[in-house]
Amino acid sequence: MSGKNNASVGSRLLDLVRSNAVPIMFIIICAIFIPMSGLSNSYLINEIVTRMGRNLFLVLCLLFPIMAGMGLNFAMTLGAMGAELAIIFVADLQIWGIPGVVLAMILSIPFSAVLGWICGNILNMAKGREMITGYILNFFMGNGVYMMVVLYIMGSIIPIAHASIMLPRGYGIRNTVSLLHMRQCLDDLLAIRVKGVKIPVLTFILIGLLCLFIVWFRRTKLGQDMRAVGQDMEVARAAGIKVDRTRLISIIMSTVFAGFGMVIYLQNMGNLPTYTGHSQIGMFCIAALLIGGASVEKASIGNAFLGVILFHLMFIVAPGAGAYITEDTMVGEYFRVFLSYGVITVALIMYEAKKRMVKSKAGQELAEAQVRAGKEAAK
Amino acid sequence: MRSKRRMLFPALTVLILVVIAAWMLVIGRGHEIYLDNKTLEGYQGQDYKAFERVVVTVKDKQVAKLGKRERGAAIWIGQDFKMTLEITEKKGDEPVVKEVSIKLPYDMDGIIINLPAYLAGLPEEAWLTEFVPAPEEPEEEELPGEGDVFGMEGDLGLEGELDAGDM
Amino acid sequence: MHQVGYAIGLRYWLNKMGYPRLIISGFLLLLLIMTPFVGVNLPMQITNIINRFSWNGVLVLAMVPMIHSGCGLNFGLPLGVLAGLLGGTLSIQFSFERFGAPVSFLMAVVIATPFALIFGGGYGWLLNKIKGGEMMIATYVGFSTISFMCMMWLLLPYTSPTMVWGLSGNGLRPTISLDGFYNQVLADFWKIDFEKIAGKLDVDLGPLEFIKIPTGSLLMFALLAFLMWAFLHTKTGTAMTAVGSNPTFARAAGIDVDRIRTLSVIMSTWLGAVGILIYQQGFGFLQLYNAPNNMTMPTVAAILIGGALVNKASIGNVIIGTILFQGMVTLTPTVMNSLIHTDMSEVIRSIVSNGMILYALTRKTEGSK
Repeated sequence: MSGKNNASVGSRLLDLVRSNAVPIMFIIICAIFIPMSGLSNSYLINEIVTRMGRNLFLVLCLLFPIMAGMGLNFAMTLGAMGAELAIIFVADLQIWGIPGVVLAMILSIPFSAVLGWICGNILNMAKGREMITGYILNFFMGNGVYMMVVLYIMGSIIPIAHASIMLPRGYGIRNTVSLLHMRQCLDDLLAIRVKGVKIPVLTFILIGLLCLFIVWFRRTKLGQDMRAVGQDMEVARAAGIKVDRTRLISIIMSTVFAGFGMVIYLQNMGNLPTYTGHSQIGMFCIAALLIGGASVEKASIGNAFLGVILFHLMFIVAPGAGAYITEDTMVGEYFRVFLSYGVITVALIMYEAKKRMVKSKAGQELAEAQVRAGKEAAK
Repeated sequence: MRSKRRMLFPALTVLILVVIAAWMLVIGRGHEIYLDNKTLEGYQGQDYKAFERVVVTVKDKQVAKLGKRERGAAIWIGQDFKMTLEITEKKGDEPVVKEVSIKLPYDMDGIIINLPAYLAGLPEEAWLTEFVPAPEEPEEEELPGEGDVFGMEGDLGLEGELDAGDM
Repeated sequence: MHQVGYAIGLRYWLNKMGYPRLIISGFLLLLLIMTPFVGVNLPMQITNIINRFSWNGVLVLAMVPMIHSGCGLNFGLPLGVLAGLLGGTLSIQFSFERFGAPVSFLMAVVIATPFALIFGGGYGWLLNKIKGGEMMIATYVGFSTISFMCMMWLLLPYTSPTMVWGLSGNGLRPTISLDGFYNQVLADFWKIDFEKIAGKLDVDLGPLEFIKIPTGSLLMFALLAFLMWAFLHTKTGTAMTAVGSNPTFARAAGIDVDRIRTLSVIMSTWLGAVGILIYQQGFGFLQLYNAPNNMTMPTVAAILIGGALVNKASIGNVIIGTILFQGMVTLTPTVMNSLIHTDMSEVIRSIVSNGMILYALTRKTEGSK
C-alpha cells in the first residue's frame, strides 16, 4: 500500500521534473554560476529587478500569437521598430519626461498597428511556416525598410528639426539618440527603495495591468476564438470563426503591445541605439519565455516571470563564471549566447517532434480503424 | 444599431488618444533655460546692473548660485516656468526672496533669460534670447551598411558584442 | 499601357519568371545600362561579378540536394561552413602548405569531409525527427552550433602562429589571411588575364584589360554542378526528387524516405564545406566566430532569385540566381554611389534578399509538407 503510494509520488515528481526540465536546468546552472561569478547578492537582486521592469512587458507580448497557435512571434521586433520611430519623433519634438513616454506610446500605436497588419497578412499567407516567415520578415523590415526610412528618408523627406539627432551629412538619424530627459522617468515616479534595491513600482503596475488584461482577454469571445483557432484551424473555421481575422488581430495586438514594451525598455536604457536596438529584442524575449518553461504552443504569465528572472540571472553571471572556469571572459560571453540559442533550438525541436508524434499516432489509429472496418465488411 | 455602436467605440478611442497626445505635446515640451546674471547695457539708453548674488531654486532644488556675469542652467517641462530667486542686490544687502513665473515660448529649445532685465520689468525682447548651440565638430560615425566592402556583413543581427548592459 | 506590355512580351516573361525575378532582372539590367553613364568601369564590374560568382557558386549549389528531398531551404548551411572552417584551420595547423598550395587546399577539403559527414549525418537524423519544421529548426541549429564553435575557436589547442592571437597565445583570430596557404589556388589555375595577354601580344585592349577570369574556380564549380546534375539523374537522384515532390508516393514506391533525406542533408553539408573553402580561396581570408552566419541569407536568397521554389530547384536556378544576386551586390553600391553619392546598397540588398525569401515562403507550393 505504502509502496504503491510512494511510487505514485515518485512518478508524479518525475512528471513534474520532466515537464519543467528547462527551468530546472537553468536553476541548476544559475546555482552553480552565481558563486563562481563572485557577484554580490544585493547587486544581483538590484539587476534582476531592473531587468524585470525593463523586459517583462516585451516578453508578455509573445503570449497573444501563442494563444492563436502561431508559435513564437519572431516578428515582435516590428513593434519595437514602431516604438523606435515614435521615440525619434518625440525626441525631435523635445517632449520630455512622463508626457514624452505617454506620447511615444500613443505615437507608436499607428506604426506598430500598420506593421502588425502587414505581418499578420503575410503570416496568413504562410500558414504552417509562421515562425520562419516572421523571422525573415523581421530582417526584411529591420535591415531593409526601417533602415531605409531612418537612414535615408528621415531628414531628407520627413522633416527632422533638430540637428543634434541627425547625422552630420544632413539626413539620417545618428547611431544613438539620447533620451536623457526621458531616462527612467517612469521607473522613478513611484519608485520605492527596499534595502538598497530600487523597485520601479509604476513600471510593475503597467506590467500588472497587462497581465490582468491578458487574463481578462482569455475569457472574452475573441480570446476564446483565438484559443479555438490555436487548437485547430479547420475545426474553428467549421464553427464559424473567422480564422484569418482572428490570427491577424492576435499579431496586431502582440505588435502594438511590443511597441509599448519597447518604450518602457528604452526609457529605462536612457538612449536609443537607432539601428541595433530592435535586432536582439525578439531573440532575447523568446529565449526568456522558453527558459521559463513555455513551449511553442503553450505559455503562461508565470512562464514569462520565471523566464525573465532565470534568463537574466544566467546572462549576468555567465561571463564571470566563464572567466572563472576558463580564465577568458569571451568564453562566458559566447557561452550565454550558446545557451540562449540552444534553449530555443531544443524547444523548437521538442515542439515539432511532439507534433509529429501526435500526427503519426492519429494516422495509426485511423489506419487501424480502417483495417478493422475492412475486416467487419469481410465478415 | 449594433454596427453603429461598434463604430462608435473605436472612433471614441482614437479621439481620446489624439486628445491625450495633443495634451502631452502641450505639457511635455522640454526647455533648457539659461539664467544670466549680467549687466544689460544700453537698453533704451539705460543700464541694468547685475546683482551681487542670485540663488536660483527650481522645484525645491537649488540649481545655481550666480555671482556677477555668471550663467546658470535649469531644465523645465511645460510652458509655465516657475523659480524662486534669492537676490542680494549689492554687497552687504539682506537677500530678497522672489517667486518668479515666466511664460516660455513653445518653439524655443534653449532659452536665455537675463535676470536683471527681467526683474526690472522690461518687455520680453529685452531679457529673452534664444540659445543657439555652437555647431559641433562633425564626427565620423560608423553607419550600418556603409563602408562594407563585401556586402555580406551583419545580415543576421548576431554580432559579437552581446553586451549584458544592452538588455 | 497594356499594349506596350504585350508588345515587348511582358506578360510572357511575367508568367515565366514571376514578379520578383522580373523586377530584380530589370533592376540589374538598368544598373548595367547605367554604368557607362555614371562613369563606372564596366569591364571591372563584370570581372567582379564573375569573381563573386566563382566564390559563391558552390555554396548556392549546396542548397540543391536539400530542396530536392523536400527539406526546404537549407538555413542550416552554417553546419557545412563550420566543417569547412575546421578543415581549413586544421590544414593550416598541420602546415600542409609545405607541399604546395594545392595540397594545402586539397587537404583542407579532405579534412573537412569527415566533419561534414558527421555534422550532416547528425543534422539529417534530427531533421527526420521534425519533418515539416525543418527551416526554423535549421536556423537555430545553425545559430547554436556557431555559438558553440565560437567557444571552441577560443578553447581548441591550435598553435599555428598565423592563426592564434599573438598576445595571449591561445584562441584563434577572427580573420586569418590565407596568403602563403591556399589563397587563389583555384582562381590562379589557367587564369585568363586580359592585361597580361595584351602585354604579350603588345596590343592595347583598352578597358577590356580589366577583365580577369578565374578559370580554375569556374571549372571547379562546373565540375561539381555537373556531378550534381548527373547524380540527380541516377536512380538515387530521381528517388530524391520523388521524396521531395511527394513523400507519401515515394514511400509507397518502396523508397526509404528517411535514408534519402539524410543523404541529401549530408550532400548539402559537404557541398557547404567545400563551398566555403572555395569562397575563402577566392576571398583570401578565413573568417571565424560569427562570420558563418553571414553566409546563409545571401545564399538562400540567391537560389530563390534564380527561380527555385521551397521544394524545387535546378542547376540552372543556381547559376542564374548567383549571377543575378552577385550582380546586384556588386553593381548597386558602385552605381548608386556615383549616382547619388550615397551608399544604399546594404539596405537594397537586404530588402531584395529577405523579400525574395518571404515571397518564396508565402507562395503556396504543392506537396510541400
